[in-house]
Amino acid sequence: MTQFYTRMGDGKRVLMTREQMINDLQAGMADAADMGGVPDLSSNELEMILEIITDRNRVVGVEPGNEVVLTYDIGQLDFTGDNGNSGNGVDVGRLESALLHERALAADTFELAHADYSIKPVKPIISNEMQTMEQIQQQITVPYFYGAMPNAGLYYAPDGPYGNPADLMREFKIEEAMAAAELTADHLARDIEYVATRMMSAGADGFNFDTTASAGDADFVGTLKGAGALRKACPDAYIMIGMAGESVMGIHGSIEYDGSIVAGTYPHQQVKFAQKAGANVFGPVVNTNTSKSLAWNLARAVTFVKECVNVSDIPCHVNMGMGVGGIPMCETAPLDALTRCNKAMVEIAKVDGI
Amino acid sequence: MEDNKKALYDAMVSCKVPSIQGAVENARKAGLAATAIIDTMSEAMTQVGILFERGKLFLPHVLSAAAGMKNAMGVLGPELIESGGMSAKMASVVMGTVEGDVHDIGKSICSTMLQCAGFDVHDLGRDVPKAEFVRKVKEGCTMCGMSALMTTTMTVQKEVIEMLKAEGLRDKVVVMVGGAPVTQAYADKIGADIFGETASETTGKAKMAA
Repeated sequence: MTQFYTRMGDGKRVLMTREQMINDLQAGMADAADMGGVPDLSSNELEMILEIITDRNRVVGVEPGNEVVLTYDIGQLDFTGDNGNSGNGVDVGRLESALLHERALAADTFELAHADYSIKPVKPIISNEMQTMEQIQQQITVPYFYGAMPNAGLYYAPDGPYGNPADLMREFKIEEAMAAAELTADHLARDIEYVATRMMSAGADGFNFDTTASAGDADFVGTLKGAGALRKACPDAYIMIGMAGESVMGIHGSIEYDGSIVAGTYPHQQVKFAQKAGANVFGPVVNTNTSKSLAWNLARAVTFVKECVNVSDIPCHVNMGMGVGGIPMCETAPLDALTRCNKAMVEIAKVDGI
Repeated sequence: MEDNKKALYDAMVSCKVPSIQGAVENARKAGLAATAIIDTMSEAMTQVGILFERGKLFLPHVLSAAAGMKNAMGVLGPELIESGGMSAKMASVVMGTVEGDVHDIGKSICSTMLQCAGFDVHDLGRDVPKAEFVRKVKEGCTMCGMSALMTTTMTVQKEVIEMLKAEGLRDKVVVMVGGAPVTQAYADKIGADIFGETASETTGKAKMAA
């Protein structure tokens, strides 16, 4: 029986038959449909994913005319960082990195980022960031944003002023834990407004909220409120909201945005909140299961993202990198898996950008 | 009467302490027996555990439901003793996170779910000295649950089992182990009777063993 080289979710190369892949495609799709309450893919769509995965070429791509916009998170840190997550350990300045992305790497948008890449630590150095934004805007042509993670974890003890819900819940202080999360959401929203409006005044074309809800539901609500304040203050700002994971963790559990609980929501529900907050682009995330095959993970990711794109009134630029979007979780994403996942997201989930 | 049970069940799954309290009061006013109230709440608590594992409910919800159940036990306790309902405990269980390890949310959820399932739970908390587990077994606990969240502390579970053997108590107690680094293979290797990956799985296995 013919076997095809493919990957597991941790990047390991394995051999699988078409039948094994079909079983995994159906199981991955069923898992997404069950967890998120989203429709199954059609048999044609599953067949298309199978064709993409079993393509004999190492690298695959979309057909001419189907190219999509490429946007980037994390700014220059994808060059300079060297901490085992996203970087290559190449020391390069922020201006040089921005121009390299624009002129050599085909980036359609780019962003300025700070080494800490979080809202809170930008506050004391806001003047430096504004100056750098103004200088780089003199030379760059593509839309150039400011980017940072909302990172509400920095507002909880021991890093911030509010009690840590994890510690409080351990002592069964549930109401105190919830109150701390609510105060954090409001504080985060104020800080976002402070940082984002100043960066806009320095010439930024917009703001990218990256890894939203990494600290749970209060993080998400704080970001949505902050984005709403930015939209009100700067009606022309281009706002991108990208998620940290496929589901919003309920650290508070019941905190609401615009009358709806955000905990436990999946991409097709999260995008509605982003729209209400005034976002121009939403970045859905689907996590990769390292114990499952590429077929399982990709079918699952496409099932979630396709529904998100279907219900969204704004463009969706899906997060595609290590450990998300069906791509294996390893430091350098394997090109065979990376290109297959991207092609499937464009041609089947119909995303507007990557 | 069935409406009251359903309202009680729904209140538990809604995970709001005041709603649970109100539903318990309504059930009592309607004449529902204390044992029936607790049975309904235990059933609902199992559902809360399932929804938690599926990512539909979160830790604050589980803790709120547990707090509601704990309050109800406080109110219904005397009535349960009077009716003999309290004597129907499945088994006496000592629970704790082993010494050197301060993580206890998972263990606390497990203790709560065991309590809701009708076990007499003695939760010793976190960073529990090995000798304390042995002491509680000597005092009559027939089940011993140990949690460890670190690879450096999971070995303490084995040491407690060895101490139980040395004291001649091993055959008198069902040993349960759990925690992030613990696996079925490890539980088998150290001679534990039950491995629970989640609180509800542990509770289910404990019910079978009791």
